[in-house]
Amino acid sequence: MVNRSLSRREFVRLVTGGTTALLISFNTACRNKISKWHFLDEQEITLLDAIAEQIIPTDDFPGGRWANVSNFIDKQLDTYYRIHQTAYREGLAALEKTVIGMKGKKFEELSFAEQTTLLMMMESGEFRDNYWKDHPSADFFDMVRQHSLQGYYGSPGHGGNRDYVSYRMLGLDYPNVIGQNRYKDLSWRIYNSKSPEYAK
Amino acid sequence: MQNRHVNAVVIGAGAGGGVVAKDLSSGGLSVVLFERGRWHTFDEHGDDELTSQRTFPLKCGFGPDNERNWRMAPDGEKGWRKVFPNDWSYGNNAACVGSGTVSYGAMAWRFQPVDFHLKTKYGAMPGSTLDDWPLSYEELEPYYEKAEYELGVSGDPANDPFTPPRKNPYPMSGFSFNREGIILEKAAKNLGLHPFPIPMLRNSVPYNGRPACIRMRSCVGFACPVGAKAGTQNTVIPTALKTGNCELRINCMVSEIILDDKGRARGVRYYDADNKLREQTSDLVVVSASASETARLLLNSKSKLFPNGAGNNNGWVGRNIQDHAYTGAYGLFDDEVYDDVGPGACIAINDFNHRSPDIIGGGVLCNEFIRMPYQFTTIRPPDSRSWGKEHKDFQRHNFKRHIAIHGPVQEMPVFDKKVEVDPLVKDFWGIPVARISGLRHDNDIKVAHFLADKAEKWLKEAGAVYTWKAFPGKTGTPSQHQAGTCRMGNDPETSVTNRYGQLHEIDNIFIADGSLHVNNGGYNPALTILALGYWVGGHIIDTWKGTKMK
Amino acid sequence: MKKMLITGSAPLLLIAGFLLLYSRWNAAPPERTCASCHEISNMVDIWGKSTHRNIACKECHGTALSEGIHSLKEKGKMVFHHNSKIWSGDIAISEDQRMKVLQRCTGCHQTEFAGWNSGGHAMNYSELFLNSTHNKTETISEDCLRCHGMFYDKSSVADIVEPLDSAGPWKLKDTKLADRPAIPCFSCHQVHQSGNPGERQNLSNPSSLHYSRSKQTLTSFFYRRTNTYFPVLLLASPEITFQSASVKISHDPNQRLCIQCHSPNAFNMSGSSDDRTPLGVHEGISCLACHDPHSNSAMASCKNCHPAISNCKLDVEQMNTTYKDPSSVNNIHFVACTDCHSMGRPAKRF
Repeated sequence: MVNRSLSRREFVRLVTGGTTALLISFNTACRNKISKWHFLDEQEITLLDAIAEQIIPTDDFPGGRWANVSNFIDKQLDTYYRIHQTAYREGLAALEKTVIGMKGKKFEELSFAEQTTLLMMMESGEFRDNYWKDHPSADFFDMVRQHSLQGYYGSPGHGGNRDYVSYRMLGLDYPNVIGQNRYKDLSWRIYNSKSPEYAK
Repeated sequence: MQNRHVNAVVIGAGAGGGVVAKDLSSGGLSVVLFERGRWHTFDEHGDDELTSQRTFPLKCGFGPDNERNWRMAPDGEKGWRKVFPNDWSYGNNAACVGSGTVSYGAMAWRFQPVDFHLKTKYGAMPGSTLDDWPLSYEELEPYYEKAEYELGVSGDPANDPFTPPRKNPYPMSGFSFNREGIILEKAAKNLGLHPFPIPMLRNSVPYNGRPACIRMRSCVGFACPVGAKAGTQNTVIPTALKTGNCELRINCMVSEIILDDKGRARGVRYYDADNKLREQTSDLVVVSASASETARLLLNSKSKLFPNGAGNNNGWVGRNIQDHAYTGAYGLFDDEVYDDVGPGACIAINDFNHRSPDIIGGGVLCNEFIRMPYQFTTIRPPDSRSWGKEHKDFQRHNFKRHIAIHGPVQEMPVFDKKVEVDPLVKDFWGIPVARISGLRHDNDIKVAHFLADKAEKWLKEAGAVYTWKAFPGKTGTPSQHQAGTCRMGNDPETSVTNRYGQLHEIDNIFIADGSLHVNNGGYNPALTILALGYWVGGHIIDTWKGTKMK
Repeated sequence: MKKMLITGSAPLLLIAGFLLLYSRWNAAPPERTCASCHEISNMVDIWGKSTHRNIACKECHGTALSEGIHSLKEKGKMVFHHNSKIWSGDIAISEDQRMKVLQRCTGCHQTEFAGWNSGGHAMNYSELFLNSTHNKTETISEDCLRCHGMFYDKSSVADIVEPLDSAGPWKLKDTKLADRPAIPCFSCHQVHQSGNPGERQNLSNPSSLHYSRSKQTLTSFFYRRTNTYFPVLLLASPEITFQSASVKISHDPNQRLCIQCHSPNAFNMSGSSDDRTPLGVHEGISCLACHDPHSNSAMASCKNCHPAISNCKLDVEQMNTTYKDPSSVNNIHFVACTDCHSMGRPAKRF
């Protein structure tokens, strides 16, 4: 009766609209807890950034860190690479622990050369303590290595290869400029009549 | 609701199945064409390397999905491990309307006449089930031609003295060479070899209502944005659907062929798009689900008369799986040899296919399709670093300065190289999964070394300043070229089907895919699978007129 | 009675409550509302650095309710996904929504809009996909969407037009598309392009008006395959060849945008496919030296360099210079010295 001025449709609209708004407000309330990342936390990202920078170091073209390799990995861990979630969580934690045990510092605080040496040890399976007993460090390293290369050289649509940096580095035009076969009769074609591709 | 009875069920809308569905429906039979995948468009894939069908770390762009499909693969001493489609150990079978022909590189090879009687040529080979085909090249030639004309092949055999004999020219002229091709052509001629453009199921000029190729970088592993690449999805399947006699049922997984007490097929059981188990009865069944899935389906279709699977009382279903042991070499050049003209592969030589007294078999050698950036990260000389500055430097310096020459080694069939059904593991629908195992014949490795040497010589002649070879090993899951698991033959003891793809033991089940190959040739097998589709389809139509398969 | 009053006024109170919340919601800054989900925060970050950062989201995109039930369904789904942690990818707007934004563009960019509207790039879906001259010579394919209809929501050109053959007759499958622009502003302009906001002059105080030339490069190419923009500076400038020699190409970065669609073939040969990179007497000149960027008209620009009183006494405006006419000998993009000086280079007089 009180709603006589509102049509039923409008009423439904308003109520659902309000509910939606309310729901979003609840989301805003927990906003601070929402991380920019999908699966990894800030600390893991920092470590992963340092590893990615080792896999693809900066020269006069940016390296793995700038190209958002860790963003790629984080995004995949929430989609295609869900099966690797545990491996990353435990592997990164174990790496940090091992490095602190050996050097008294976090991996990302070490010099570039020290980091390289550690990753080479990891690559050849030389980490053997605790966690690494059942989870060969070489396997973990190889997975991160491959994922980093995918992030750097794959399509930016998946979160890495920022601004197609790797394509530009390779001198590969992207988007690929390529026309079709139309406008066949137009006069400027005669300019090319001597070229073999048109002779056909 | 029960499905209406039809004349024929065709399982798998790939190369073989698409052709058979077209032939049967054009011949007036009512057909249901089953496909476990769906239609794909170019637009949903674009040129994303990580989800292509060539390098697929994230997923196989053109199916099957990781959520419902898996297989078992050998895992050293541990026995078996579960593998998903985006793992090379799965076998890279596509699953969509058109299947592999949507995203393939589209090489359109005819096998050599001698490939059809290898045993006669080379004699029995220890450790191999090498045999002659029950049909000759001459018999298959008109069907090769039909495939070339109906789908559309561009080629120019003028400079290839070893080209299989043909009655009529290719429907379209061959493709011009890109920069790699021009460099390699000169070098091959210097070496006394006979280079020619690779025949392709790809339009060099507008053909059959589809435009000419625009020569994109992202071709193999991707769908074509202009439809210049011929697959069954843009040729014979639309024709089949237009007849009004063919119904395409996508997202449907066939689980078994229903066999009656008299030892004949009554139709199939399948899981529909809502994963509900249903039945489709038919007068005959054509299986064209790829060499691994066709074998799996037969092995999963058991009855009192066929306790080991349909048509498998001799134990030959799933045996002799072959692929191609890809071999070749890479060369680095001082100058840029890359000009971004796709699809890359353009030049071939037939000089080392059955023409060397030192080897048995052989294979064609071609320059490789364009290596996309992530794929190129794995292409390194032996003992190179796989990360770090050295790796990046190599990538930067050599991406445009390398050429790859590869060839498919004609594999010798090995009885113990096989597809089985895993006794325990089932897929999403509860269907026992395939497991593929076995080792290559020693001859394959020998030929691989022989061909790699030739490839390396060719690269050196072309001016490569550094070269290295890449050989296959004895292990490895047969991949997109897999064949041979239901071989045809005249002797029911040592083959699965007769010369028309009809099971020896069940006369209303036919096979029409690479499974039939007695030998897989030294070439990409797509055109042969298409030709066999026409061969089997034509035979069914001829028989149908008389018997109606009753 | 009391009970009735309570039950009667409850919905009213509820509505009032919602309205209050909703108006506060709309007034709040984006990072507390729209941008509070990470699906969209990326876009809001980009907007925050863009030339349009002084224009609030809702001014172009409307509010959560401006599309009625559709909005609610859409937003409701996002909230549901967000709360159940279903990653549905970065947020994207539909083609319908883009067309609404386009209306907003015209509010400020009237001249540009009028120019575009008078030129070839304002063609709509029916003009484009039902053009029988074109459809008879070139089969419609997925690649069409690279440069036309690039914001089309479904994934195949087969959903736009039928039949996909060269015989026709063709018709649009969805008549709603008929008068929709196939190359809208957003094809070449990223609304969220990074840069500084344009200066708004105070028209009511004529003495304060002044000329300021923007040094920003404001064009971007929308690439359907990745669903992203490429600022022109990131675009390639392919090397064009004419009979194996390199063609000189203007350094104007905007030209890289033109060639994305007016492209040569894979061999980058001058004049192939739809390439119009100038060759001959006009080699090295930017497209935009002659063409207005929005209307694309080149009519008025010839006399800038070829005034009626020039030495050669040629009246270029009387010449047939269009590329559209196959019989044109003075095709503006490729006309060479020898086309007029048919006897070859005149002898040196000194």
